[in-house]
Amino acid sequence: METLLGPGSVLSDPEELLVYESDGLTLFRALADFVVFPRSAEQVAALVQLANREGIPFVARGAGTGLSGGCLPSQGGLVISLMRMNRVLEVDYENQIAVVEPGLVNLHLSWAVGPQGFYYAPDPSSQQACTIGGNIANNSGGPHTLKYGVTTNHVLGLQVVLPDGELLWLGGKTRDPQGYDLVGLFVGSEGTFGIATKIVVRILRKPQAVKTVLGVFDRVDQASEAVSAIIARGLVPAAMEMIDQLTIEAVEDAFGCGYPRDAAAALLIELDGLQAGMEAQAERVIAACRDCGAREVRAARDEAERQLLWKGRKSAFGAYGRVSPAYMVMDGVIPRTKLPYVLGRVNEIVAAHGLRVGNVFHAGDGNLHPNILYDPRKPGEEARVVAAGAEILKVCAEVGGSISGEHGIGLEKADYMPFIFSEADLVCMHRVKEAFNPIGLCNPGKIFPSNKACVEVGPAYRPHPIEEKGLAQRF
Amino acid sequence: MPLALSDTLRGIVGAPHVLTGVGCSPYLVEGRAPEAVIFPGTKEEVAAALVAAGEAGVPVTPWGGGTKMAIGSPPNRVGLVLGLRRLNRILEHEPGDLTVTVEAGLPLDTLQTELGKRGQWLSLDPATAGGATVGGVLATNASGPRRHLYGTARDLVIGLTVIAADGSVVRGGGKVVKNVAGYDLPKLYIGSFGTLGIMVEATFKLRPRPDVDRLVVTRFDRLKDAGAAARDVLASDVIPSALELADGEALRHLGQGGGAGLLLGLDGIAEQVDWEVAELGRRLGPLGLGETTVLDGGARDEAWRALARLGRPGHDQVAAVMKWAVRPTQVAELMETGSTVALRNGLTAALTAHAGMGIVTAVLTGGADVNAAVATLTEWRALAHQAGGQAMVEWAPLAIKERVAVWDSAGPTLRLMKGIKERLDPRGILNPGRFVGAI
Repeated sequence: METLLGPGSVLSDPEELLVYESDGLTLFRALADFVVFPRSAEQVAALVQLANREGIPFVARGAGTGLSGGCLPSQGGLVISLMRMNRVLEVDYENQIAVVEPGLVNLHLSWAVGPQGFYYAPDPSSQQACTIGGNIANNSGGPHTLKYGVTTNHVLGLQVVLPDGELLWLGGKTRDPQGYDLVGLFVGSEGTFGIATKIVVRILRKPQAVKTVLGVFDRVDQASEAVSAIIARGLVPAAMEMIDQLTIEAVEDAFGCGYPRDAAAALLIELDGLQAGMEAQAERVIAACRDCGAREVRAARDEAERQLLWKGRKSAFGAYGRVSPAYMVMDGVIPRTKLPYVLGRVNEIVAAHGLRVGNVFHAGDGNLHPNILYDPRKPGEEARVVAAGAEILKVCAEVGGSISGEHGIGLEKADYMPFIFSEADLVCMHRVKEAFNPIGLCNPGKIFPSNKACVEVGPAYRPHPIEEKGLAQRF
Repeated sequence: MPLALSDTLRGIVGAPHVLTGVGCSPYLVEGRAPEAVIFPGTKEEVAAALVAAGEAGVPVTPWGGGTKMAIGSPPNRVGLVLGLRRLNRILEHEPGDLTVTVEAGLPLDTLQTELGKRGQWLSLDPATAGGATVGGVLATNASGPRRHLYGTARDLVIGLTVIAADGSVVRGGGKVVKNVAGYDLPKLYIGSFGTLGIMVEATFKLRPRPDVDRLVVTRFDRLKDAGAAARDVLASDVIPSALELADGEALRHLGQGGGAGLLLGLDGIAEQVDWEVAELGRRLGPLGLGETTVLDGGARDEAWRALARLGRPGHDQVAAVMKWAVRPTQVAELMETGSTVALRNGLTAALTAHAGMGIVTAVLTGGADVNAAVATLTEWRALAHQAGGQAMVEWAPLAIKERVAVWDSAGPTLRLMKGIKERLDPRGILNPGRFVGAI
């Protein structure tokens, strides 16, 4: 592999490999035999061909911000890190497309095209770190997908290395490619259909105007009703995000974003588009919130206040560090009319397990993110978190929802797939998988219910070798 | 068709819902009558019929409203036509969720009427005749002008139930607007022309109907100028829901004289649309903008319908219809060249485009000379290829299809497509031979 990639591109020291043993979900860990850093599509293809010759499993990895264990080498083998393939290769502003490498950080694309008045719409909360390639694998969403859609709605073409090492293009720079929609199938396949090495995405013109409204409610069901009321008034906001009381307190402790600490729920509604009519739309939103019993509704007066309100939302996950040593984020989806019922059930389930939960989520499209707080150092607590999480996802399934809105199935939820899919559904998916990945070396052990034999599950904390050597200290 | 199979099918769907012999004549596929036509009443009956056909080795062609049956390569054998018109219910519409679940045989027009009663719509406006069904629209991935802003079926379908070749009921996606659990099977079935399974139910995400919905027809002397105007709109703050370029011949078909036109759909609240109309005047004036007409209500609907009729066979002696997919900036110039090519071959072309999407519909008219049509289509395809794009024949008589491939090449991806087809339909009974690469 060093011959293929050059020096400094292959890690095999166990201490260095440890860095890559998990993603953003630290509950699952698996060690690779090698972590490799190709710089070109051809190098990725050569690595995959080598892995095929040697019969070694392989998995692609971006920034490792995933939340379902999807990029873990569950059976060992190669982790192919795409972080050195991070260029914007081409931007065609007139045709509103960009060609990028998979290791490009999501936000860096918006930075690159921003000076010309453009941006890349899908905006996962991890967009400062996560990569476009990882977004492709997970079909990532974000707050603004309510109006603009998720990753799959923004991808026109993919150059991919198939699991057998063949390098080819699916789709391209034009629309409606001939035959089956392989691009649509590949996006969200969680790295099991191959590795994307070049990506053609749509870039959008920045909206002329943005208006952000904060609604404050004394009851969660009032905030939920406001979401439906806004839609019933014929509006499609760019985003509608809800934050519950526990989360508000954490955010206020950490950042002081101006959310009232005693509110049961805050609803952040963002409208974007033309300047003309923006005030009229904001009035409709404000009226809808008032009609649903909001105790306070206000529009951000300037960009600084707007940024502050969004900082509270986007940094909520980090803010949980103020109130708990660890948390596990769930990712269920429900029909938005079922929000009050399901949120009530979430609180009941978590309380029954003797735990606490903070909710911060995409209310507009019914994508819940209950964050179950826990202390991994307390024996048995992690197991209770996992049990509560499974019960929450079962409730989502029961009301006609899904077990993942944007984080993917990965290792975490593979055994929950039967909550929403029948045997026939899974058989069909598996047949499609075989068409891409017949030998199964490409990211094995994911999505489908199966054993997790080589994956370690349990308390995430254990001293890193450099801690043991006294070179680093945890505090 | 084996007699035993006919009997089995009668047992499954009931004798009144089976047609044979001369009764099959309205269900021609490329001019050939099927051996039988059946109309199942439930998805279970669809499944049982597929199993029976599979065991007998008889190919099955799904049939919705029959409005797009002319798309595709001529099949080797037309076996059983499976009509879905009895599966025509709206199963679930929850306005608060902006979602609807329907059966595949429901006419799209009926669905839109019902949704309209609740102030909502499915933002898909394919150029289909009345009677086009939801299943047919999805199977052919039909779309219309408003794909410019609202996308195509792949952006609007959130769940799909399909009867697989082995009769199993397969569900992909779900009923919620955001969902990444499992592979995105709906994407695979949309546009698969019935070659992978028979769609029986679909769930869509919906949009609220806008307060105001207008069609602005802007006129230019030259197509070149209209093309420049389209590019200018794309680079502006105006957010059209549709951006259609029409050449002089297309305008003549619309009863609008020659020159060239840029048709914009503008919707939203009144203040927005008013500002956009004014902004268009400001921006396009210096680019050679002539007459501008703002249409609303019935006049607007009729103008959109007339545009949709343009590419429909049976209208104005259409000789063939081709669809090109190129980059948006290439559209106007290719339309000019394409028009010249047709004239050189003694024919006339009416060209329209989804200007922001790079999708051109080229309608060839003006004669029954097969050689001239074949020469034109062949040159058109070469033009699309030179531009890095693709071209497919949307409609043509059999005599032309025998000489010009309907589909463009899928290149090296064909291996993957065939792999999927073989695994999902190992006996090859689902609409065989009609799709890309003879799938």
